[in-house]
Amino acid sequence: MEKKTDSREAILARIRRNTQRVYERPDLSALEQAAIHYDDRVEQFRKVMHQMGGRAVLVQPGDDLNELIRQQYPDARRVASALDRVEVCGREQALTCPTFHPDSVACSRDLDGTDLAIVRGSWGVCENGAVWIAADVEQRAVYFIAEALAIVLDRNCLVDNMHEAYRRIDTGAYGFGVFISGPSKTADIEQALVFGAHGAADVTVFLV
Amino acid sequence: MSVGLFIPCYVNAVFPQVGVAAYKLLTFLGQDVVCPEGQTCCGQPMANAGFEDGAVQAAQHFESLFAGCDYVVGPSASCVAFVRGHYGDLLARGGREHFCAAEGRVYDICEYLHDVVRPESLPSIFPHKVSLQNSCHGVRLLHLSSPSERNVPYYNKLRDLLSLVRGCEVVEPERRDECCGFGGMFAVEEHAVSGRMGRDKVRRHMATGAEYITGADSSCLMHQNGIIAREKWPIKTIHIVEILAAGL
Amino acid sequence: MSTKHSVAAGRFLKGDRAVWHDETLWMVRAKRDAMSHSLPEWEQLRDAAAAIKNYSNSHLADLLEEFERNATAAGVHVHWASDAEEFCATVADILEAHGAKHLVKSKSMLAEECGLTPYLEARGIEAAETDLGERILQLMHQRPSHIVLPAIHLRKEEIGDLFRREGMHVDPGNNDQTYLTHAARRDWRHKFLEADAAMTGCNFAVAETGECVVCTNEGNAEMGTSQPKLQITAFGLEKVVPDRRSLGVFTRLLARSATGQPVTTYTAHYRKPRPGGELHFIIVDNGRTDILASPDHVKMLNCLRCGACMNTCPVYRRSGGHSYTYFIPGPVGINLGMLKDPARYSDNVSACSLCHSCQDVCPAKIDLAEQIYKWRQVLDGYGVASAAKKHLSQALEWVIDHPHLFGAAVRNAHLVNSLPHWLMYNRLNEWGKEHDMMHFPHESFSEMWKRGKVMPARTNKENDGEKD
Repeated sequence: MEKKTDSREAILARIRRNTQRVYERPDLSALEQAAIHYDDRVEQFRKVMHQMGGRAVLVQPGDDLNELIRQQYPDARRVASALDRVEVCGREQALTCPTFHPDSVACSRDLDGTDLAIVRGSWGVCENGAVWIAADVEQRAVYFIAEALAIVLDRNCLVDNMHEAYRRIDTGAYGFGVFISGPSKTADIEQALVFGAHGAADVTVFLV
Repeated sequence: MSVGLFIPCYVNAVFPQVGVAAYKLLTFLGQDVVCPEGQTCCGQPMANAGFEDGAVQAAQHFESLFAGCDYVVGPSASCVAFVRGHYGDLLARGGREHFCAAEGRVYDICEYLHDVVRPESLPSIFPHKVSLQNSCHGVRLLHLSSPSERNVPYYNKLRDLLSLVRGCEVVEPERRDECCGFGGMFAVEEHAVSGRMGRDKVRRHMATGAEYITGADSSCLMHQNGIIAREKWPIKTIHIVEILAAGL
Repeated sequence: MSTKHSVAAGRFLKGDRAVWHDETLWMVRAKRDAMSHSLPEWEQLRDAAAAIKNYSNSHLADLLEEFERNATAAGVHVHWASDAEEFCATVADILEAHGAKHLVKSKSMLAEECGLTPYLEARGIEAAETDLGERILQLMHQRPSHIVLPAIHLRKEEIGDLFRREGMHVDPGNNDQTYLTHAARRDWRHKFLEADAAMTGCNFAVAETGECVVCTNEGNAEMGTSQPKLQITAFGLEKVVPDRRSLGVFTRLLARSATGQPVTTYTAHYRKPRPGGELHFIIVDNGRTDILASPDHVKMLNCLRCGACMNTCPVYRRSGGHSYTYFIPGPVGINLGMLKDPARYSDNVSACSLCHSCQDVCPAKIDLAEQIYKWRQVLDGYGVASAAKKHLSQALEWVIDHPHLFGAAVRNAHLVNSLPHWLMYNRLNEWGKEHDMMHFPHESFSEMWKRGKVMPARTNKENDGEKD
């Protein structure tokens, strides 16, 4: 233990001794002001989600979200979700399609074999399709292990770019959050793009 | 106002016609041109190879040769970039100041014509299709054209100058400013990669259907010329000043 | 005058993969270009990234202390390691304290740099790579040839054969990329489920929040860290950035520069241990504080490890990652290798034509080419400058120092034309391998000038006068 303290002090001392020219902290406000923005955020978000290999579905007033999810994932048998009610276009709906709560499993490996996870997104980013998800369950594996991921996102929570997003996000009580932009992918074999590396192979964002 | 004509070593030894054309072009445009005798290499080949100390005397020599000139203008972007970028350091080691660069007096000839002389017309005629060799140091150090990597509006000073030449059709190859692989000592030390880069470059120039490869650097053209001769390919190289001075 | 790089590159170019390699990586660069052009503020973003890194790297002590304070308050164990040995030992100690025998790790250049996997294996701990490319290389006992596309040198056939040798459920003769990727997804899932601990590298450590940010496309780091309850995340100390506001800049640049995507699929923020679990952050020096002391090279600490400099490098694309002697190839690797051990890694310094394209793509505006130029100036001091190159340069220098002899040398240059082909090609052997010799004219410019053969043109005015 003593050795570790020594290293800490030694490293900090080396940094202080070796640092030469000192630079000022830059002011980012001009860049953030000039950063890209979109007149029609919903349209841009749909476009970029498609580009990222996922899809965004604009839920209409009167639509039954359960119905839309089942249409998209008719074969999903094990459906995990911590959500029981969702506000769709200003009207609350009960979410009935999930079959279990992710925290009802004994351990995280029991989530293997989940066909679909339905999770809540907090913010969507129009420049890149990233959706911020702050962990709201103990078993955060649910965001990654399911074959498909359905993200429910308020269409009023779309922001233009990452500068805007980072002003708003929070990691929440579990101290974990993640931007997810479309399905898991890799191009490690001959640069051929393949969806479904380790995480969800299919992602739909339902804009409510 | 006098313009010192800087003749880089390989222009002197291998491409004297480029020096002749540069002289003609500048005098035609009313410049008072002097060409100091006893010019040598600028020292870049040694410095790029890792022997910068060997270039100190070249810098001192250059400095005294051109001391009286208001401008120093040379038909070689890379050599000019070296003088501009490194002579300050080199001369400081010898305890001297770098008047030429400090006062912004060293120019590549295309840069000088485009930015300082700004001719609106030339009587030159060159009825051929030419493919631009946007050489690395010209593009990325002297800003003769917009680098393809950067998000800046397109510009190309060579293209602007060639637009004054009657009959000259200007195209650019695919990968418009990828390195041709010369790089001085690099061409010798890494000859396999350099040769491949050169052949790739010439092929892309040929794919445009151009009859000539032209640019502001005789070194890149010399490298590609050696490859063209070896491969017996149907394309020629020509320095841009030879085109601009064609018919003067 | 051949360096190990030049010899290996020559071999690579003789192989049948060279053209594919160049074209494929050029395509990645083209995607990066398209991305950069899709944002009008691109160059401003690069300026901001460089400015934040310059700030962070000149306030490292304060930022790391702030990071440690915030992470500790959130229940994270923070460790400091001075060198590779201490880093590896720290990881092993944590794992052994938990009786962990199976570690899943996501790609970490730091772990690679410090030789973590062999160290753990020697202590009886399995460290399984989980990134597809990295895992393939681990099973093949090969090293990565690119920092972002580690298996870019392999063919799908070799990978299919590997999978079959490994007993994976893969049909004979089926080497389709999607098929193989999905086989790996299926067959390797149990590695995550059975792991005792997960380890990740870190793209950004945020001082303000004490969190580590990890970016992946595959979701392998995220999958790993959500199975076992023990997580270790390690980073080189230059990864610390002031705040989340800076992340807005870096996350916009990283994936666009690296692979030409708008963002990585996953950008995970680790701030607290999982309930009932442990989270360990290890801050590693391993030579980085020495880099701080070098004004010529301190900007290397700006590096985001995006690999854009490799994709644009005309030499890297044509020589392949394995032709470099340092584990990181390309412009970034040439420089980092020299900072690690100049005598040992000097063979890579030749692998640069000084085209400066790397500097133009670098999202953190590192002066990569200028630093390579500077390394060349000191090679002689390490006794590793090529003797032949040195002689050639000395000869040139001597000639330059004696202008009258330079004149004589040039005067005789035309003799080259009449020399027998083979003799000429032996004298300038390496040039002659790729080129026909240049034709030296009988008169140099300086001779023509002296003899009054260089004529001025009639000026514009004279011509105008003639018209009148």
